[in-house]
Amino acid sequence: MIRFEQVGKRYPNGHVGLHELSFRVRRGEFLFVTGHSGAGKSTLLRLLLAMERPTTGKLLLAGQDLGQISNAQIPFLRRQIGVVFQNHQLLFDRTVFNNVALPLQILGLSKPEIAKRVDSALERVALSDKTDLYPGDLSTGQQQRVGIARAIVHRPALLLADEPTGNLDPRLAAEIMGVFEDINRLGTSVLIASHDLALIARMRHRMLTLQRGRLIGDGEAAQ
Amino acid sequence: MSATRGSKVSERVAPKAADPQPARKKHDDDDGPGFSMLFRAWVEAHRASLLDSLKRLGKQPIGSFFTCLVMAVALSLPMGLSLLLNNVERLGGSWQRAAQISLYLQLDADSSQGEQLSNQIKGMAGVADAEFISREKALEEFQQQSGLGEALKELPDNPLPGVVLVTPNEVDKATLEALRERLSELPKVQQAQLDLVWVERLAAILKLGDRFVFGLTVLLVSALLLVIGNTIRLHIENRRIEIEVIKLVGGTDSYVRRPFLYMGALYGFGAGVLSWGVLAFGLNWLNDAVVGLAGLYGSSFALAGVPVADGLSLLLGAVLLGYIGAWIAVARHLRELSPK
Repeated sequence: MIRFEQVGKRYPNGHVGLHELSFRVRRGEFLFVTGHSGAGKSTLLRLLLAMERPTTGKLLLAGQDLGQISNAQIPFLRRQIGVVFQNHQLLFDRTVFNNVALPLQILGLSKPEIAKRVDSALERVALSDKTDLYPGDLSTGQQQRVGIARAIVHRPALLLADEPTGNLDPRLAAEIMGVFEDINRLGTSVLIASHDLALIARMRHRMLTLQRGRLIGDGEAAQ
Repeated sequence: MSATRGSKVSERVAPKAADPQPARKKHDDDDGPGFSMLFRAWVEAHRASLLDSLKRLGKQPIGSFFTCLVMAVALSLPMGLSLLLNNVERLGGSWQRAAQISLYLQLDADSSQGEQLSNQIKGMAGVADAEFISREKALEEFQQQSGLGEALKELPDNPLPGVVLVTPNEVDKATLEALRERLSELPKVQQAQLDLVWVERLAAILKLGDRFVFGLTVLLVSALLLVIGNTIRLHIENRRIEIEVIKLVGGTDSYVRRPFLYMGALYGFGAGVLSWGVLAFGLNWLNDAVVGLAGLYGSSFALAGVPVADGLSLLLGAVLLGYIGAWIAVARHLRELSPK
């Protein structure tokens, strides 16, 4: 699914985001990427979303070389990915339904198909009764679940999440992680960047540890 | 509360998790939509963009109206000037008449020969009209206009030749000179006279008028593009987060651009309608004064309104300008709107 081969990222100001990173992620795998602030977690996610390009090495996502992909192909690549942000990135002037429907509207699906899929996605995150509300009417945890519903509604092959539990209390964080595991059971690869080691340890999935842009650990999180 | 919520999530997710179809398989089922489905999706996407743009303009009615009004003023100035020039042209008869060629006939040419020549000239290329003035009529007019009536009666013979006044189709100097040359070679023509100085002055005036209207149009069209570009830039700024999210979930540049292009076209349409209204009202308002003035000179001249064809061209031009202005603004800012 994902292959990093000696991937490096150096910014124009000389700062090195990633040092010759090499690892693979299988289809349907669930893994965490952890590390302190500035370790390179966000850079890794940005490379996978083609928001940035690697400066060295080769990065393959579903067979596509993200170092060589043209700008015109990037939107189509992103349609295979679902992304969840720490700050939700919801549109507050749109209802929950319309926030979740956005990726499907972009795909050009018919209205009945959109309605069916949005209902299904909101059901998965237990927000079926909130479709007509606006994000401002929801709690932080509910907003995060709307963000997750939007990320999975188009049935992506890969789900990326950047500190998805960063603003949540431990109870809500565990709940959100449960939703990610449910999604993973449907066959979607899930990659979560988080520095919440306690939470990661409880979930017993593969964990990549980054430090100053280098991969210093790759294995199952220990309790 | 949380436990309840947690169990609710699990309950709802469990049956889905048991779904025997893997996600990838579902994905494959969506591949290869037919042409009609793609076309319907395309139409739906455009309809949604248009409605969204209309809704957004409707949310700020006063701001939208004033933007349209500013654009309408910029459109009305050159268009209004052009319409006024057309009316002035009608008032003066026609520019062509001012560039008449006078053919002085030989003294032995009689009236029937003059009439025949006049009819022949009417059929020539580049000629709008020809009028024969006989020797007798010429003398009569000269006696009336010169005040030398008595003195002229003393002359043993009529010294004036018959004249054919030729009105050309075009006022172009070279064309007129060529026409004069051809006319001078006709039988019974003694001399073909063209007031080239006047024609040159007229051509210069027309050229100046054309340049003025063109310059004003270029200036105001540029201003209009700036107005629409700036307005669309503000809309883009207000929707920056939305655009970033759209790009992150797979929206193409054309998907992002589309609602702004509709918005530009709608601003243009509003400006076109307003401009048409302003011009129609303005000409109607001026007409009362013009009719009164013309009446003092014994003329029934009245200003013509905005011809429907001109009004429709104005509307189409305004929509196009709005669209182009929006395109330029979005193209300039789209690159800055990459997700951060």
